[in-house]
Formats: sequence, structure tokens, C-alpha cells
Amino acid sequence: MACTSLPKHPLTLLRAPINKSSPPSPPAFPSLSNASHSQFFGIKLSASSLPNPSHSPKRSMLVFAKVSEGNVPPSFTLKDQDGKNVSLSKFKGKPVVLYFYPADETPGCTKQACAFRDSYEKFKKAGAEVVGISGDDPSSHKAFAKKYRLPFTLLSDDGNKVRKQWGVPSDLFGTLPGRQTYVIDKNGVVRLVYNNQFQPEKHVDETLKLLQTL
Amino acid sequence: MKPTNVAIDDPTSLRSTWSHRAWVASGFASVLTPLAKSAVAAADSGSVFEPLLAAYAGYVLADLASGVFHWAVDNYGGPSTPVFGSQIEAFQGHHRWPWTITRREFANNLHPLARAVIFTVLPIEALLDVMEAGAAAHAFVGICAGCVMLSQQFHAWAHEKARRVPRAVAALQAAGVLVSRQMHGAHHRPPYNINYCIVSGAWNGVLDEYKVFEAMEMILFFRFAVRPRSWSEPRPEWREEEEEAEEAAAL
Repeated sequence: MACTSLPKHPLTLLRAPINKSSPPSPPAFPSLSNASHSQFFGIKLSASSLPNPSHSPKRSMLVFAKVSEGNVPPSFTLKDQDGKNVSLSKFKGKPVVLYFYPADETPGCTKQACAFRDSYEKFKKAGAEVVGISGDDPSSHKAFAKKYRLPFTLLSDDGNKVRKQWGVPSDLFGTLPGRQTYVIDKNGVVRLVYNNQFQPEKHVDETLKLLQTL
Repeated sequence: MKPTNVAIDDPTSLRSTWSHRAWVASGFASVLTPLAKSAVAAADSGSVFEPLLAAYAGYVLADLASGVFHWAVDNYGGPSTPVFGSQIEAFQGHHRWPWTITRREFANNLHPLARAVIFTVLPIEALLDVMEAGAAAHAFVGICAGCVMLSQQFHAWAHEKARRVPRAVAALQAAGVLVSRQMHGAHHRPPYNINYCIVSGAWNGVLDEYKVFEAMEMILFFRFAVRPRSWSEPRPEWREEEEEAEEAAAL
């Protein structure tokens, strides 16, 4: 998919989820000042213009979509650190803090995981679940979780498919998988998308702040 | 690989040999030549501002270069790496026995850098001569190369006890012109991942605040699957030993 080759540029349209678990209501639009007004269902490729956010975005057609605030993200099923299949839909009914991180056992990711661990009680108090996702395999997650005593689920995004599907932008000209966290409310709607590669602990503060308002 | 503390096991290896002195003398020659050319050209043209500015730029760049080199050898490769193997081994040994550097004689300490400087400066100066470069270019090269070559001496002074450092040096350290004991001391804490620059240390704040080295490490990890040493705690046999304890053990 072309998602990862255009990091950070906001897209003009979103894709309505086409899986069964999505609500029937029209999807909300991403909070972008240049968003076009048309509503699309399903992905439509346009040959007439290429996405070029710096010029007239209203002319651009939908090329691909990423998960933004107000969306219901596409569901997925991934293996956790124990090799068990876990679906996003499992968490319906409670808020979820879903954080995409580059890799196990790297300094930023370790700081981030430990920060979530140390504030885990606060997340539980808010009724929320914390889930980490990276491209590492379940055995890597298991070792990482054991070493740092992580109390939450880590999912293996094999081939980084979900990362690409959700449109998590890469950093440093595509060389680094991005560090982006989504707060999904109990109805399955994304309420916060927070990106910060080099200040991993901030993900905890920002998500907790948002959870207090839910 | 079992680490050897040369200060205790092989103290003669800390002394300068004639080969070391020859390399360092040649290093000084290769640095002083562009400085002399710069002075002559500046005198001819009557303008000193540009060469002085260029000299300052050279000093600033040398600090950055010292940090990048230090980061690279601290984190990657090993004793068997071609060209850099002995330097990498020396830096690892330095982490274990940091005080040993203060026991090295001058030429012994500087000769590896002198060698690198000679082989870099000579072709650059030849090119500058062909281009008929002015005072500023020669000043930049001379000061940058000179600071790089002397960085190992600045490094040694940053490890020396305060009372043993010449007063002028202490003043320069306090003024931030040369790297201080406190600034460099912050590097000598596991996992040895900050304060890599050792000329003035001026770049350290920016490089560490913006996680420049961490970003480079992440890129290298995702591209080449190679982990830097600073991502793990040092292996037990490489952990730092206190000077007094080591010397007491040797008695």
C-alpha cells in the first residue's frame, strides 16, 4: 500500500469501514481543515488527480485512508505474546489505548512500555485496556513482557499489515516505524491519535488526559 | 574477549616510543602548515575576520566530529574490525579503567589520531593548493584537524584530578572552551549513551536533547539489524573499576 510512503500528510477523505462490526451510521470526517465534503464508502482509486495536500485538496479524490479521530477503525485479529488470537472487537464496551511502537528491546519502546506499566493502575481506574502493537513475533513479545513485567497485551503485527492499514506514518524518511497511539472509546470510535517518536513517556500523559474526559 | 588493564599488566605500553613521537610530530607539522599558509594569506590580504571565523567553525565542527566518532566506536564493531579494531578495543578498555588515560604519555595518547589527521589533511591541503584556496579555507582545515588531534589530550585532562590539571587548562574547562571533568563524567555512566563530544562538549546538549544518536541507532537497527552496545548494560567483565581498588589489587 502507498500509506507508508506519504508520512504525516493529512488525507482529505476517509474510508468507511466495510467490515461487519462497524456501526451503520455515516462515518465522521477527520478534523482536517482541507477536508473535502464528499462521502465515500469503500476505497476508490482515482486516476484524475494524485493526493497533493499543498495544492487544492478539494480536487483530490480518495486514494487511501488512514484511521483518524472520529473514525471507527478496521478490526483485526493478531496473536498476543502467548500465541493466542486477539481481536480488536474483544475490547468493545471499554476504552482501549492501542499503541503502535517500533520494536521490542529498543530504548524508546522500553521506556514507553515501562511508562504504561507504571501508570497501569490509572488506566485500569479509567476502565481502559492498554494494548501494544509492533511487528515483532509473539516470542519476542513474551520475552520483552517478562523482562519488564508488563501487565498488558502485546500483539504481533505480522508483516506490519495493521500498521499500514491504519496509516501509521513512518519517521525519518520512512526508515523508522512511527510511534503512534490511538485511544478508542467504548463504542469503538477513535478519540485521540497521538504521535511522538522520541518522547515515548508523553504517550502515557496524553492518553490519560483524554481518558479523563471520556 | 578478556579485557587487559594495560596500566597494571603492561605499564610500559603507556610510555611514548620514538615511533609515537614521530607520528605526533608529523601530525603537528600537517596541522601547522595550513595554519601558516592561512596566516601568510591573511597578512597579504589584510583581512583577518574571515580566517578567524573559519577557524572558529573548524573548532566547532571538530567537537561534533569527535562525538560522532566516539559514538560509533563505543557502540559498533569490535577488536577485529578492520582499521578501527584497536581503537574500539581501546575505548572499551577506557570505559573499564577510565583513569588509565591519565597515565599515558603525550605521544602515546595522541599518535593514533595524529596518524588519522595526517592522512586526511595531506590530500585536502593538496586539493586546496590546486584550487588556490584563501586564508579561511586553510584556517578551517588547520584548526579543525588540530582540535581533532588534540582531542585525546583534552579527553585526558577531563579525566585528570582537578589539582593536577594546569591552571590555564582548568580555566578553559570552566569556561566551556575545553570539555570539563563534569561534562565528560556524565558519559562514564552505564549505558554510556550521552555526552559523546570531547573537544569542547558544546554539541552535547543539542545532540542529547534531540536524541540524535538514538535516532541514528534506531535507523541502523531497522536497516541492518545491528544493536548498539549502549542498548544493553555492559557485560560484567567490562564494568568500570575504581582506580584505588584496582591499584590496591595490583599491590
